[in-house]
Amino acid sequence: MIRLFEIEWLKLKNYKVFWALIITYFLGLILVLSSGMFLMQFFKYKGAEFKGIDPTIIPLYDFPDVWQNMTYIATFFKIILAFIVIISVTNEIGYRTMRQNVIEGLSKWEFLLSKLSLVFMLSFAATVFLFFEGLITGLIYSTVKDLRSIFSELEFLAGYFLEVFTFLSFALLIGILLKRAGFAIVLIFMYTLIFEPFLTINLEHNPHIYESLKSISPYLPIRSLNNLISVPFQRYVFMEIQDFIAWKDVFIVLGWLIIYQFSIYKLLDKRDI
Amino acid sequence: MSEILSIENLVKDYGKIKAVNKLSMEVEEGSVYGLLGPNGSGKTTTLGIILDVIKKTSGKYNWFGSTSSSESRKKIGAILEVPAFYPHLSARRNLRIITKIKGKGADSIDEVLKLVNLHDRKDDPFRTFSLGMKQRLAIGAALISNPPVLILDEPTNGLDPQGIAEIRKLILQVAGQGKTILLASHLLDEVQKVCTHFIVLNKGRGIYSGLVDEVLNTSNTIEIASKDLQKLSKAVKEFSHLNSLEEEKDLLAIQLNNSVDTHALNTFLIEKGIVLTHLAIRKSSLEQKFLKILEESDDQTV
Repeated sequence: MIRLFEIEWLKLKNYKVFWALIITYFLGLILVLSSGMFLMQFFKYKGAEFKGIDPTIIPLYDFPDVWQNMTYIATFFKIILAFIVIISVTNEIGYRTMRQNVIEGLSKWEFLLSKLSLVFMLSFAATVFLFFEGLITGLIYSTVKDLRSIFSELEFLAGYFLEVFTFLSFALLIGILLKRAGFAIVLIFMYTLIFEPFLTINLEHNPHIYESLKSISPYLPIRSLNNLISVPFQRYVFMEIQDFIAWKDVFIVLGWLIIYQFSIYKLLDKRDI
Repeated sequence: MSEILSIENLVKDYGKIKAVNKLSMEVEEGSVYGLLGPNGSGKTTTLGIILDVIKKTSGKYNWFGSTSSSESRKKIGAILEVPAFYPHLSARRNLRIITKIKGKGADSIDEVLKLVNLHDRKDDPFRTFSLGMKQRLAIGAALISNPPVLILDEPTNGLDPQGIAEIRKLILQVAGQGKTILLASHLLDEVQKVCTHFIVLNKGRGIYSGLVDEVLNTSNTIEIASKDLQKLSKAVKEFSHLNSLEEEKDLLAIQLNNSVDTHALNTFLIEKGIVLTHLAIRKSSLEQKFLKILEESDDQTV
């Protein structure tokens, strides 16, 4: 497995597009995740208030709430990591290097594992990064700093890892299926951010939809991922939120993960490369 | 001599078209085996199948006496169709990936780059290379980690005459080290110059296989010339073993009965008072043989 990641790393480490996307991802996250308090001050300056609450006293970075707040925001950026996965695999098909790798002595299965090692490393790096980002901003802004609070609710990091890993596996499948980077990127972008969200809104809120159809929405590929980490911010206006990760959602996502992995394997196994 | 590769009744269907049709062949250790055939005759498909990148429809193939695997492929250096490399990576880094896949160290990289004359461009990205350089790098990639078997699919495609000559020299040099080589080409001249064995494919079927030397020596055409061709022509027609005679520019091309050799002919002509200025057995080329084989096979299929 380490050998397979080494091969993948040799392919990527001198590839400018890879580094451009990595920097975009991490800089974007740092910028957004670190500026919560500035944003609140900006709201206050503009005269905004939330049900009579001064925005600057909202404890966005308090432990342990920071973990859910942060992982929730960070999931919006996972699409950039998906671009890396798509470009990496469609390049291999376009340049015929996947075929050449197999000729040189990699099995198709090993090739797939080398791509999965990339998916794993990206998800892992994103999760570790988020841990430190949360820890640092928390230590700066949080009013509670006891170890117990800091290290509780870390399940959100595990949930975040699962979400990114599954989404990147989905991206890998789309890339292998469509073979062309542009096509795959447009499709995953449109599906994730437009098609499925609109489908979900219709399923859940359109009065003309049959009751029996409404129940499928939590099982949709993107909806189920989004369900892992619920929107946390209503808690600041005294509304009930789901401040844990539900096992049911985990199992639905694991189900999709298995479907993605199996489909990728079958696709490669059947195809002349 | 042990068998390196054996193919038995290999079939590949693309819908109704049979790209490879019940092909059987054997490649022995140390031979340079030419795969001949017109475009679309199934050469690349066959090589793709035995390299495990194209799925066969039916049939069998064995490498080194057992079923093909990623381990057996590590002992084969191969180029299939166009050179396939990462365009943003340098020649050296591209080769490093290959040695990593084969589980070998990086020490042979410089040596190979020198062999294919790319050492001074080793740190330039692959995309800046000319077609000839790309082709040379592909051959270098096939040679890396010193595999006992080489598969070269149209290795001189797109090269200029000097490049072609260089690649040929390289192939002969490598063959001289006892490596087994499988060479697919539609350039007959190329196969004639480097191969020991050959097989002709047409429409996916193996229609002829044999030794290159055998084909080249089976000619019985003799070229003769003297100062007075008219007189020579008249005299030779009186030779009782003459089969056919054709007048060409500056010489006569004749065929004799199988049992008679040039010694008898020459003696006969000297007795007639004719001194030859030219006497040679014409070697038939692989090209003539190849065209004849294809013609015969087309007649059969019609």
